[in-house]
Amino acid sequence: MTTEIKSSKDEVRTGVYICHCGTNIAGTVDVAEVAEYASHLNSVVAARVYRFMCSEPGQEMIKQDIKELGLNRVVVASCSPTMHEPTFRKTCEQAGLNRHLFQMANIREHCSWVTEDHEKATEKAKALVRAAVRRVFFHEPLEVREVPVNSSTLVVGGGIAGIQAALQIANSRHKVYLVERDPSIGGHMIQLDKTFPTLDCSACILTPNMSEVGSHPYVELLTYSEVEELSGYVGNFKAKIRKKARYVDEEKCTGCGVCQGKCPWKVTSEFEMGLGQRKAIYIPFPQAVPNVPVIDRENCAYFQKGKCRACEKFCEAGAIKFDDEEKIIEVEVGNVILATGFQTFDPSVAAQYGYGEFDDIITGLEFERLCNATGPTGGNIQLKDGSVPRSVAIVHCVGSRDEEFHEYCSRVCCMYALKHSHLIKEKTDAQVCQIFTDIRCFGKDYEDFYERLVEEGANFVRGKVQQVANANGKGTDRGKLTITTEDPDNGKVNQVFADMVVLCTAIEPQQDADQVAHTFSVSLKADGFLLERHPKLDPVATRTDGIYVVGCCQGPKDIPDTVSQASAAAAKVLAVITRGVVELEASTAVIDEDLCSGCRICNLLCPYSAISFDDEKKISTINEALCKGCGTCVAACPSGAITHRHFTTEEVMAEIEGVLV
Amino acid sequence: MDKELIQQIRDKARNLLEEGTVEGVIGYERASDGVTSRPLFVYNPSDTERLIYDETCAHNLVKYLLDKKGKKMAVVVKPCDSRAINLLLNEGQIERDNVFIIGVGCPGMVETNWNHKSETLQAKCRTCQLSKPVVYDFLAGGEIERQAEEETYSDITEEEAKSVATRRGFWLEQFGHCIRCYACRQVCPGCYCPVCFAERLDPLWLGIRIAPEENDMWQTIRSFHLAGRCIGCNECERVCPVGIPLSLLNRKLEKDVKELFAFQAGLDPEEKPPFATFKKEEVMEFEK
Repeated sequence: MTTEIKSSKDEVRTGVYICHCGTNIAGTVDVAEVAEYASHLNSVVAARVYRFMCSEPGQEMIKQDIKELGLNRVVVASCSPTMHEPTFRKTCEQAGLNRHLFQMANIREHCSWVTEDHEKATEKAKALVRAAVRRVFFHEPLEVREVPVNSSTLVVGGGIAGIQAALQIANSRHKVYLVERDPSIGGHMIQLDKTFPTLDCSACILTPNMSEVGSHPYVELLTYSEVEELSGYVGNFKAKIRKKARYVDEEKCTGCGVCQGKCPWKVTSEFEMGLGQRKAIYIPFPQAVPNVPVIDRENCAYFQKGKCRACEKFCEAGAIKFDDEEKIIEVEVGNVILATGFQTFDPSVAAQYGYGEFDDIITGLEFERLCNATGPTGGNIQLKDGSVPRSVAIVHCVGSRDEEFHEYCSRVCCMYALKHSHLIKEKTDAQVCQIFTDIRCFGKDYEDFYERLVEEGANFVRGKVQQVANANGKGTDRGKLTITTEDPDNGKVNQVFADMVVLCTAIEPQQDADQVAHTFSVSLKADGFLLERHPKLDPVATRTDGIYVVGCCQGPKDIPDTVSQASAAAAKVLAVITRGVVELEASTAVIDEDLCSGCRICNLLCPYSAISFDDEKKISTINEALCKGCGTCVAACPSGAITHRHFTTEEVMAEIEGVLV
Repeated sequence: MDKELIQQIRDKARNLLEEGTVEGVIGYERASDGVTSRPLFVYNPSDTERLIYDETCAHNLVKYLLDKKGKKMAVVVKPCDSRAINLLLNEGQIERDNVFIIGVGCPGMVETNWNHKSETLQAKCRTCQLSKPVVYDFLAGGEIERQAEEETYSDITEEEAKSVATRRGFWLEQFGHCIRCYACRQVCPGCYCPVCFAERLDPLWLGIRIAPEENDMWQTIRSFHLAGRCIGCNECERVCPVGIPLSLLNRKLEKDVKELFAFQAGLDPEEKPPFATFKKEEVMEFEK
């Protein structure tokens, strides 16, 4: 019961192409019947089926029909437009048809995959095709405009991911702003002692890159700084960066370190994971880049009590600036790479691990510092009382693969637990026991490392930790802490005794990851990590064009994966820069001046700040260069004064009617 | 009639016109029945003597400011009507500098008919607790302490307790009376779209027939367009020629918005209405 569309455009000639998608669609939907049905719809001059419309021959079929049958509308009924809309739009364009005179009907995800009954599925496919045919009837050709791309890039986060991405881009002689909120770049990697599975010294492999990025002519390093605000769109972003007051003049400071020596106030060191101390004026670690100290205002005698200024007295360069103030810097960039990293799970919230309650229960990252030659013990693995442990238990999955905390696997703990075991064996005579749930050694050469560790004689106990208790009084000869574990398969309870317990704490999203998501208009996954555009095929892009995510802010990963991602993002950025222009969304919103009441609700809601108020005409106007076509204003306009190109009321109504009749 | 209060209104109006502060004053005068009142537009200082104020002055005069955009006007405003000023400021429809607000306290308005006024307070006045306008430049007669006689949403909670079928039946019956004269829209200070959806031809959201479906559609969309925006002057219900209890719909939505967003329209000219903002938490909830 199709009703005639009374056409004012009597020239509309539509071609309908129905895809088998192998058996994905044709296994459930009678595609021939749908094509036969479509061929009788108003304005349809050709309706064909093909096994894979997206293949070369499939696309060729469409192109040929456009040319030979004079088609001016094309409907492809196949998969989701997020998969192949760009493909078929290009096909149309190659045959000389405007890409917006195309419409896709999703008869796979919306139909064949979710409908068991073949008859019903076929009927539904017909309805979806009918809707697309009716909709495309009203489509207008839209012009796609191009604007030049700013060749600078903003990289947020100065860990290994950010450093790598920055260097790759800068080496092609394009400007990079590398922003790091801590006083030095280096991130978590610079805290590590050795890296698995090769056992390279972490600092030895990272510091050359740190110093290269620090002195690179194409990198502007902005440490102790944070991005406050980002506006604009791919190719033309504007970022506001807050540079915190360092109280030390970066230009004048020679990095001699005398100030640190003279400063009388000692504070717990963040870099040493609380195991060591630093001064109120400090360079966080010896290889810091920039090698310029910062004054911790909260703990400085001068700022808190009004006198001291010892650092100033002894600074020969005259670099101390007590009147330093924070600054807001504005930069213009074409692309943004987010490499904001991770934090580790705080095991004190899980009482069973006894962390904070008993001595000598430490986290994996604390162990890294304990083991490191520049760390608080000079690299000696020792207990709090200074003695060498005779036994160490390494507990896997602390906060990971745990329904109560994080359900995901942190992907690095198994490997670094094995590495810790090796380092303990190398430096002490202690017995090592790995308390694990599953051992996952999936990376390149990781299995070899595991075999090597097994040969070195580590003990493995399968189980989840029930309790860590002080074992003084019973079995003290084997260790002073008792770890009670339960095997997840058979419920068997074991007890392990150790002098020291190392907790392999989970990698978790930074506390302010949601703030990052908000500032950069990207999404968060339910687990709190930043969401990539496609988990397999577009793993470093986000749904916001020109914003990329790399490293652990996107999900737990090891150093090789992080570096690969950083290079991938750099390549994507360079592709945009090399192309030199970006296409602006053609499907933008337009305001009908006669209908606008000037209430400005759209001004407030526009996420791209594309709408402003014309004070003279008392109406709102849309800057088309900034409009991304999200449709928020269209839906919100109380007077219905805003039209969305390619989503006009006419088009949407025709589509709805097409589904319903 | 409070003679002193009226004199204050007249003096202020005369003063504003003589000094040229405003082009005109919108107030009330005695209607030709000698009992009730009607709106008055004063442009001449000598006409200010016609201004009155008493318990029959129910009209919300703020609506008329929408016709005087860009002109400097003074307007006599009761406590409930004053929320409409904030609404229109909030929605960019009027400019504060262009409006001089002559605020008046309110003893409560009574039910009136041609040539007759009763002793009964209007329903909205029985729940009102505003002793003075929420915004004004000059307050004539000072504040009037008011004690609400009834609980604000008692009738709404009563309605909410009824079954869906009962409520549906009730409203179908009520909307069946509607003659789509659009008086409710014409009198509402929140209805100011240059072209109302009810009169759009393409797309034709609403058929022109006076029929149940069209009436339901009109009433439903009208009340939803005022969700979080209705300031409770209840003029729509007062002017409805067929007596549809529109305040039940408006106040149900007001109650919902209050519970969901802790927001009431027109109390603060700066606070952005809930449907014109989004909060980060809300985004998160939606995305999960």
